[in-house]
Amino acid sequence: MSMNFSEFIRQLGAEPRSQDPEFLRARQSVPEFRRAAEEADIFEEKLTRAMDLQLPEGMMDSILQISHTPSSDTAAAARPRWRSLALAAGVLIAVGAAGISWNMNRGWDSVDDYLVDHYQHDGPGLLALAGEKTSEDVQAFFTRFNVKASSELTQIVSVIKYCPTPDGKGVHMVLNTKDGPVTVIYMPATEVSDRETLEFDGMQAMLLTLEKGSAVIIGSESQSISALYSVIHDSIIPEFSNA
Amino acid sequence: MVNESDRHARFNELAKNYGADLYRYAMWICGNDALAKDLVQETYLRAWKALDKLNDIAAAKSWMITILRREYARTFERKVPKFTDVETVVIPEDSELEPDDRAEIKLLRESIMELAPKYREPLLLQVVLGHSCQEISDQLGISKSAVMTQLFRAREQLKSRLRKDGVTANVHELF
Repeated sequence: MSMNFSEFIRQLGAEPRSQDPEFLRARQSVPEFRRAAEEADIFEEKLTRAMDLQLPEGMMDSILQISHTPSSDTAAAARPRWRSLALAAGVLIAVGAAGISWNMNRGWDSVDDYLVDHYQHDGPGLLALAGEKTSEDVQAFFTRFNVKASSELTQIVSVIKYCPTPDGKGVHMVLNTKDGPVTVIYMPATEVSDRETLEFDGMQAMLLTLEKGSAVIIGSESQSISALYSVIHDSIIPEFSNA
Repeated sequence: MVNESDRHARFNELAKNYGADLYRYAMWICGNDALAKDLVQETYLRAWKALDKLNDIAAAKSWMITILRREYARTFERKVPKFTDVETVVIPEDSELEPDDRAEIKLLRESIMELAPKYREPLLLQVVLGHSCQEISDQLGISKSAVMTQLFRAREQLKSRLRKDGVTANVHELF
């Protein structure tokens, strides 16, 4: 039994590219059906085009890198929350009695929670993306936050991108240091306790307060991230500062 | 037991075959570039970890989507904010299109984001990932008949929005 027009329209609206033989026969059956099918084809082409977003540059490399990053095995675990991990395993090196101060309004429960969460997402992949950035490239990322970066910092940045932070957008960088690649995240609107340190997944991190906002330096356990404290502290400064 | 080399090859195949589709899917369900990238990255991290559990490579696409959807649900369990920073939404400029077509595509994109999730998600699975109604039914855990109704209504709402907004008249307003 062949489809009536109402059934045909319903099928056309639900699955216009259906290969069901009865539907395909109906498409060609009478002018009324053919016209409806042609209109649906035009709409479908527009719909497909509208939904066709490009994979961002570097994203595929970042995905492929996952299987070559040793820490990805642990990073892929069931996303342990930093606070419970710290309490359970005692891996927190030092969080002051007052704890890390924060001004959360964007969903993470704490800065450390954000830090572990974000680093597990993005850290290993970005570390693997080598590439020299010009000073202008780097500076452009900071301008929107009304801060500037010193040449001491810009000349060692190999990867830079915008990233979410606990209080809005920030900047995620990978720096080329003599100890190897180190991650730095600039958080323009987040307050932290200066020089707080923490550990997760074989990584160590140090928080620092800046003149405008804050940052975190993340490196492996073998790297001397505290040596970068003054570089970062003195390198990200308000745009209209005299320094 | 799969050796390490085969494991890497299998993972690379998953990345190359589905990376772009997963990003599109993530982008359309969350509407934010940074979150979409995170969702895709996390999906592949989890896939790498659980790769040995994927017995049937033909089921890989649905498996990956399931991981991504779970991760997206977890995102909201963690109360990660819904971003509204439109600057971060990457939608390529269709420079080869005529202005009228561009306006129509732009309106369609806005309209897709405005669809209720119950209409948008089946549409994404069908248009972006090429799922059949039965596959969507399996993925979303609803009947095939319900899937067909939602797809039909999704398209009707999009067409209605295009008709209502009179695309041609709004070209200059939009660009």
